[in-house]
Amino acid sequence: MANLTQFNLRDKGAEIWAGWSRPVRTIFVVVSIAIVGLLPFAASWGPTSFLNTPITSFQNVLVYPVGMFIMMALGLNIVVGKSGLLDLGYVAFFAIGAYSQGILSTLYGWNTWEVMPVGIGFAMAAGVLLGLPALRLRGDYLAIITLGFGEIVRIVAINLNVTGGPNGIPGIPNPPKVFGFNFDLMHPQDFFWLVITMILLVVWMVRRFTVRRPGRAWEAIRQDEDVAALMGVNTLVYKLWSFVIGAAVGGAAGVLYASKVMVISPDMFKFDVSILILACVVFGGIGNIWGVILGASILAYLPERIRFISNARQLVFGLVLILMMNLRPDGLLPRKKREKITEKGAK
Amino acid sequence: MNKKIVSGLAIAAAATLALGVVATSPAQAAAKTSVSLAFEGPLTGGDAQLGQDQIPGAIYAIALYNAKNPKVKVTLVKADSQCDGTVAANVAPGVAANKAIIGVIGTSCSGEARASFPAFKAAGLTMIAPSASAVSLTDPKAPDRGFPVFHRVVAHDGFQAPALARYAAKGVTSPKFYVIDDMTTYGGPLAKGTLATANKLGSVVGTDSVPKGTADYTSVASKVKASGANVVIYGGYTTDAAKLFKALRDGGYTGILASGDGTNTSDFPGLAGKAAEGVRLTAADVPFDKLLTAAQLADFTKITGIKVPGLYSTTAYNATNIFLDCITKGALTRSAIQLCVTNGSWTGAGGETIKFDRYGDIIGGAPVGGYLVKNGVIVYDSVA
Amino acid sequence: MWPLPFGGVATLHNTLDLNRSVDMNFSVITSQFWSLALQGLSLGLIYALVSLGYTMVYGVLRLINFANSEVFMVGTFATLFIETHVLGYAINAPSLHGFKLIYTLFFAFVASMVACALLAILVELVAYRRLRARGANRLASLISAIGVSIFLLESMRIITISRPMTTPRLLDKWSFGTFHGANFRIDTMMAIIFPILIFIVLDQFVGRSRLGKSIRAVSMSEENSKLMGININRVITLTFCIGGLTTGAAAFLYTTVYENTVFNVGFSMGIAAFTAAVLGGIGNLRGAFFGGLALGLLEEFASAILGSQWKAVTVFTVLVVVLLFRPNGLFGEAVQQTRT
Repeated sequence: MANLTQFNLRDKGAEIWAGWSRPVRTIFVVVSIAIVGLLPFAASWGPTSFLNTPITSFQNVLVYPVGMFIMMALGLNIVVGKSGLLDLGYVAFFAIGAYSQGILSTLYGWNTWEVMPVGIGFAMAAGVLLGLPALRLRGDYLAIITLGFGEIVRIVAINLNVTGGPNGIPGIPNPPKVFGFNFDLMHPQDFFWLVITMILLVVWMVRRFTVRRPGRAWEAIRQDEDVAALMGVNTLVYKLWSFVIGAAVGGAAGVLYASKVMVISPDMFKFDVSILILACVVFGGIGNIWGVILGASILAYLPERIRFISNARQLVFGLVLILMMNLRPDGLLPRKKREKITEKGAK
Repeated sequence: MNKKIVSGLAIAAAATLALGVVATSPAQAAAKTSVSLAFEGPLTGGDAQLGQDQIPGAIYAIALYNAKNPKVKVTLVKADSQCDGTVAANVAPGVAANKAIIGVIGTSCSGEARASFPAFKAAGLTMIAPSASAVSLTDPKAPDRGFPVFHRVVAHDGFQAPALARYAAKGVTSPKFYVIDDMTTYGGPLAKGTLATANKLGSVVGTDSVPKGTADYTSVASKVKASGANVVIYGGYTTDAAKLFKALRDGGYTGILASGDGTNTSDFPGLAGKAAEGVRLTAADVPFDKLLTAAQLADFTKITGIKVPGLYSTTAYNATNIFLDCITKGALTRSAIQLCVTNGSWTGAGGETIKFDRYGDIIGGAPVGGYLVKNGVIVYDSVA
Repeated sequence: MWPLPFGGVATLHNTLDLNRSVDMNFSVITSQFWSLALQGLSLGLIYALVSLGYTMVYGVLRLINFANSEVFMVGTFATLFIETHVLGYAINAPSLHGFKLIYTLFFAFVASMVACALLAILVELVAYRRLRARGANRLASLISAIGVSIFLLESMRIITISRPMTTPRLLDKWSFGTFHGANFRIDTMMAIIFPILIFIVLDQFVGRSRLGKSIRAVSMSEENSKLMGININRVITLTFCIGGLTTGAAAFLYTTVYENTVFNVGFSMGIAAFTAAVLGGIGNLRGAFFGGLALGLLEEFASAILGSQWKAVTVFTVLVVVLLFRPNGLFGEAVQQTRT
């Protein structure tokens, strides 16, 4: 029991990683990516066919919820994990991205690649709009304001004509072909590879940020905002940055999601999604990229895998959350020990 | 090296997959001794009652069919999409990938239907919906139309909404309407659809949209009272309709209360209590137990374990029978089923003729029934 | 937030065209003022009671008690269960009068409060205590509380087969009279008087009694309270218990006034109560009271003037504005001073 709760796989992993030479690392990364890339075929290959999800299509599950949740969890991790801001309305940025894609593609005929930067831009703008007033507040007040923002975006989407009201927007086109990859219903695996590429981009981006100035500023803010301010960190600006970058990732995921499902409606962007993404982050190991990815994969995949007990599915999900948090409160793969300090105000 | 293997495998696998979904050769079909139909609708979740009321109709039809010992047996696959577009968007590709399934009875909700279309269109899988009634699903100009896979054996809201307004105002001289909706995919358009007819019959003195799940309807009730309306039409589901109608009656409103098929569930009279008395309800459905003989009803109870068939059992039964008839005629592939459903003509449980137009609606429209709550029971009144 | 079309002003107008136009209807302020105010008051005070479940816990633990919404849900079902199963009234039972009515309502009231208090204590044991003992991240407690709330919600959904349920009308809804359109109905008055009494008692308890003082001590500084020999765990259990009691009282009132419940009734109530707590200043008893009141009135007037579809948007906009000018809510100072 003590071993189970004390053991930090992430530190162990980092140790092994540090011991490898450059070529070994490269081979490891390439092989890992290749294995993940082959996942869409796991369901139809004998030894791994236990992964197959009953009723829902496994390859589609890999794209949404699994891939999308990983991406959003990584984005939320920048906000919650890196700079310690509790955001309960992350789904708002996802929705803004999705609606950008929905509106620009159906009304103006833009394709996904053209919408992508614009959708990310809208999500970032919304992040600034929300962040400027909200980030002046502390801790849990931020939680309720972000929660409210998430609801507002959904309700406005119900109330406006341009967003199709409660019906939403149908007929959103798939992304056009790139390098012979077809992103349509018949090729969910291509979509999965696209999502993986985007996840890798986000991981790369987050790692860059973490070791540079913004990462250090976020770390300082998370540990003690007052001290950080005293040491000359412009806390509002850096909090806003983490918020906006998180929003950008959510927006990108939204654009991609809309062009995958082809139909969006306000009921896809409910409060539950925000909570689920937050659960992914905390479950996997708040602040640690690999933990977040693991957490999101499990929490997104599990409810689909156990669909055969359909009635008790969510019940089991709730139990898993309670059990896991009690057994490993820092998540499956916690962040580095030196980063793990008690935050001010927490007891 | 690694990359080459990966891409090679990927292409090979992608090719087999694509072929597997598209190819349905006649040689394979001839050997078939059993096929599957899928029921897609809410079986769990907040709207579970809708699907749970319908699926017995399908189970009953299939049991009758299999009891006749046909050459090709039919099994039913339950695909629970929870009346939720997000879920349906994942469930539909799963159903499409199951090659045994040659037809889909569903969906129950319009939102699910929209989210399922892309997958079923790609797979050429025919749908016959027992209750998805949004107008746009069969509108040739709507971007979310289900052509060519979507069909429905239910009158769409374009028929139901005017019928609801007409039925609500029946016998009322100079009706003043107050129209309220619950801001859902179902309630919003239904309420909106009543406005034109309401304006023709009398005047609309006010509208409001109250989100589903609101606790307190008293402010709406006082607004209605202040407006001097004598006919209130609600577009929404049972729970909220009960709350609204109670608040209206408690608030001293004495006029007519009316709502559509979302409220027409067996739970409604109990939930609304005294406020339910005299409420006018419509449904694009004729009660199944009215169409069955006593022996058939006993059979139904024996097979499904349900005493009184719920709302839309009839349409689910009709939808299933269309597929079964096509299977009897030898249509055992998805494409054959599609051809059969598009061109065939059937007689429904109530004796009406079912033939689909190009976009999937019954030619001539399905009947909309008017119901009244009397002494705590919903009784069929007349055609609305 | 929406893209500017390239077709000029005319299309811009179309793009921003509202589905249901925001027709402001200020005439209702004059015509229905008293009726809206009375409704807002009764709804707001029910919110206030539930928001105590958030604010008490926050005051002591600095954690959002996410499972409180489901405690409320269980309370509504407890009331229903007592009335229909334990006391055996059928759905169409006639209204009660005199002593029998008082006895029945009182029994349901107490039962709902006790059920909620026990459940709240259980929630603390399952979701918070272990994690707190190990000094875990505060988000971990948040997620385990969410886990508990999903568990409760789903259990009730399975038990009730997703069906909404209704209580018999045991309390005949007679009225004391009307005043400019405001109907002083017995259930509305109950929903106003009960919470006010509960708040007076609670305020006195926290301000005067020894246990109440220990709650305040812990919320000011946990370390110092430990030094002073206060049993922290007991105080925390007590706050959960009080939060549960008031939430249970709210659940009883809700069920009596609206006469129905469904497995997901807690969600919107929870959000509203949490908003009320923040509006008043979370962690503050009087803040919860006035926050609840303000929210109830705001919701009623906003839905009357702007239409119900803009209610939530108005509420959150007001919340943001209030927090901008008073960053700790309407009554938030005391807490903030003690924290830093």
